[in-house]
Amino acid sequence: MPNDKGASWGVRLGWLSSLKLTLILFFALAGASLIGTLLPQGLSLVELKNHFSPTIAFLIDLLALNNLYHSMWFRILLLLLCVNLIACTVDRLPKTVRLIRRFEDPFDSQKLSRFSLSSSISAALPLEKVQSFVKSAVCETFGQLCEIQSAGSFCAVSEQGRWSRLMVYGVHISVLIVLVGALAGSYLGFKGAMNLSEGETSDKVILAGGESVLELPFMVRCDKFEVSFYDTGAPKEFRSDLAIIDKGREVLKDSIIVNDPLTYEGITFYQANYGTTLKGAEIELTDRDSGAKIQMSLPMLQPVNIPGTGDQLAITDYRQDLMRFGQAVELTYVKAGQQSSSQWILADRPFHGNRIENYQVRVSRIDTGRFTGLEIKKDPGIWLVWAGFILMTVGIGLTFYSSHRKLWVCVEPDKKRKKSIITLAGRASRNAPAFEEKFRALCARLENELVNPPSPPSEKRGNQKDTKGAK
Amino acid sequence: MTSSLLLSLTTFAYLLCTVLYLSGTVFSYRPLLGAGAVSGAAALLMQTGGIGLRWIESYRMGYGHAPLSNMYESLVFASWAIMVIYLVFEWRTKQRALGVFPALFSFLAMAYASFSKDVDSKIQPLVPALKSNWLIAHVMTCFLGYAAFAVSFGLSIVYLVKKRSIYVGKPQNPNPHGALQVSLPSVSQLEWFNYQLVLFGFLWLSIGIITGSIWANSAWGTYWSWDPKETWSLITWLIYAALLHARNMQGWKGERVAWLSIIGFGCVLFTYFGVNFLLSGLHSYARQ
Repeated sequence: MPNDKGASWGVRLGWLSSLKLTLILFFALAGASLIGTLLPQGLSLVELKNHFSPTIAFLIDLLALNNLYHSMWFRILLLLLCVNLIACTVDRLPKTVRLIRRFEDPFDSQKLSRFSLSSSISAALPLEKVQSFVKSAVCETFGQLCEIQSAGSFCAVSEQGRWSRLMVYGVHISVLIVLVGALAGSYLGFKGAMNLSEGETSDKVILAGGESVLELPFMVRCDKFEVSFYDTGAPKEFRSDLAIIDKGREVLKDSIIVNDPLTYEGITFYQANYGTTLKGAEIELTDRDSGAKIQMSLPMLQPVNIPGTGDQLAITDYRQDLMRFGQAVELTYVKAGQQSSSQWILADRPFHGNRIENYQVRVSRIDTGRFTGLEIKKDPGIWLVWAGFILMTVGIGLTFYSSHRKLWVCVEPDKKRKKSIITLAGRASRNAPAFEEKFRALCARLENELVNPPSPPSEKRGNQKDTKGAK
Repeated sequence: MTSSLLLSLTTFAYLLCTVLYLSGTVFSYRPLLGAGAVSGAAALLMQTGGIGLRWIESYRMGYGHAPLSNMYESLVFASWAIMVIYLVFEWRTKQRALGVFPALFSFLAMAYASFSKDVDSKIQPLVPALKSNWLIAHVMTCFLGYAAFAVSFGLSIVYLVKKRSIYVGKPQNPNPHGALQVSLPSVSQLEWFNYQLVLFGFLWLSIGIITGSIWANSAWGTYWSWDPKETWSLITWLIYAALLHARNMQGWKGERVAWLSIIGFGCVLFTYFGVNFLLSGLHSYARQ
């Protein structure tokens, strides 16, 4: 159809809708992804310079190969794929829809004989007899027959799976939907982490990638965290009992484990990891001059006055294993009006280095608790992604299991009015060999019953060509 | 009767099956191919029993999970899936002479699972991340896809060899056994079968990636994180998508499509083994 609107669109869209571009993009995306898996992602420029020569590090940085999947050029490739998909759809869908909706054009035996799969049988019987037999025979092998108005002859079409032509568009659109969903998620949603000790309540999420903190519109409290192990030592289950507190009221209580998150107002909490935190410690200070001992109980991060002085002491950090020396606490000594000083104290190894200012420090008791590591996410685009996934599965599945096939039949009376010429033609979008086999079987059956039976001598005309696909 | 005994026997049954198919093809003798199919079906039955027993044994040990959780179990399932897909293919198409490669792959997968020092065949408990109903759906769909691609890889090689021999004009073998002689399908038939298998594999690979991302979303809170395993499955998907599109392009149908299928299977192998052993990522449990 050269004067078709779709064709002119095709010319205008040109290379953007071409299959060649599709292939190039597939290979380019595959190649880029491959580089991304071989080169460690997320390295900083400094780390790159430590690993590679300056020139290579510069090149990697220039092409953003260390953050490839989020680089501009990778996004442009994805965008081009979308443009290609849309252009193809705009280019081809109208034609397909017209093919599906259009009423059958009138045809005759001459037109049918031009098909790559066609056959012609001549029977010495009147039109009406042949017509009814052909009707029932075709119905039996190919399903319902739809008759088409034509003068003086019998024309009919049997078509199956005409909608299967649309499946490929379904798959293409599903890819677009998934990408749009991903885009919506990355712009309208967020992803971050929160560490909660048992009993702690918070609404602060540390956003992924950056140092920025996001405040949730409600509070989360961790009531309990449990971890269990198998006999083999492998972890069995991580479980956090969480409560959601909205406007001062406890609205939801649930426990989460890996694979079973909790969602409240579109925000989902995942069990990601766990660790140990310090609740507080009891320490004993010994004045190095006087030898006087002071007992102190320090809660985590809360400065406490050192009795008999105007100074304060606080635990500001905790390590479960500081440089393989075991547990350690970081003490910060605050003198009024002066620069405060900090010092790591090894809790498990009392030695002379455990000191701050003029005090020797001994940690007499350490009070630890577990914290649960939560992954927190809001993704409004996820429903689009799921919808795209469903459409993609259905589309590819139906492409595999369905096919479009069409059979044309035309019975024309011969000029002498004593014979009828049956012309059949067929076309199948998939599994052409099987369709052809069925087609040939039908022709053989018609020939057997209409031409060969004990009847006046008949003339046979064969016009059989193989399908192009089989050659 | 234990699962490990059944699965060891399966390994040798697949070896026998491979030898039968190979000799049937080389000596061009049809009954040998029939014996190949029978031994393949018998091995498959035995393997099904072995997998089922292993499942039951895991419940007896108190772990209770489908045998799809580590390298050993996935190799056994891969071998099973290849044979299932091949036998259904043979039954549907009535083509008996294409069994060498699928039988060989099934045997190699079992042999590697049984004899390699890197692969631990012990039944292990599931770590928290694997405790999900998606485990069965994700692993089964992925491996059905991989298996279809493995069979397609075999077909592509047969296709290329056959096409080359036509170009060279190699005379057909003299016919020593008359009706018993083996006949390979024609080049165009091979091309069609190959396309069907790739489309089938593509369907399952897509579902495999989709179930994987739904699972990742419920376990880690992200459906796509560019983890090496994910990325390589995407690379595989892109290559086979390219194949399906290339078939409609002038000059690509035929040999180039066959080569793409071979490259695609290379990607499958890298997704499966290469990523586990060479690259680190979230999928590390598949390494043991």
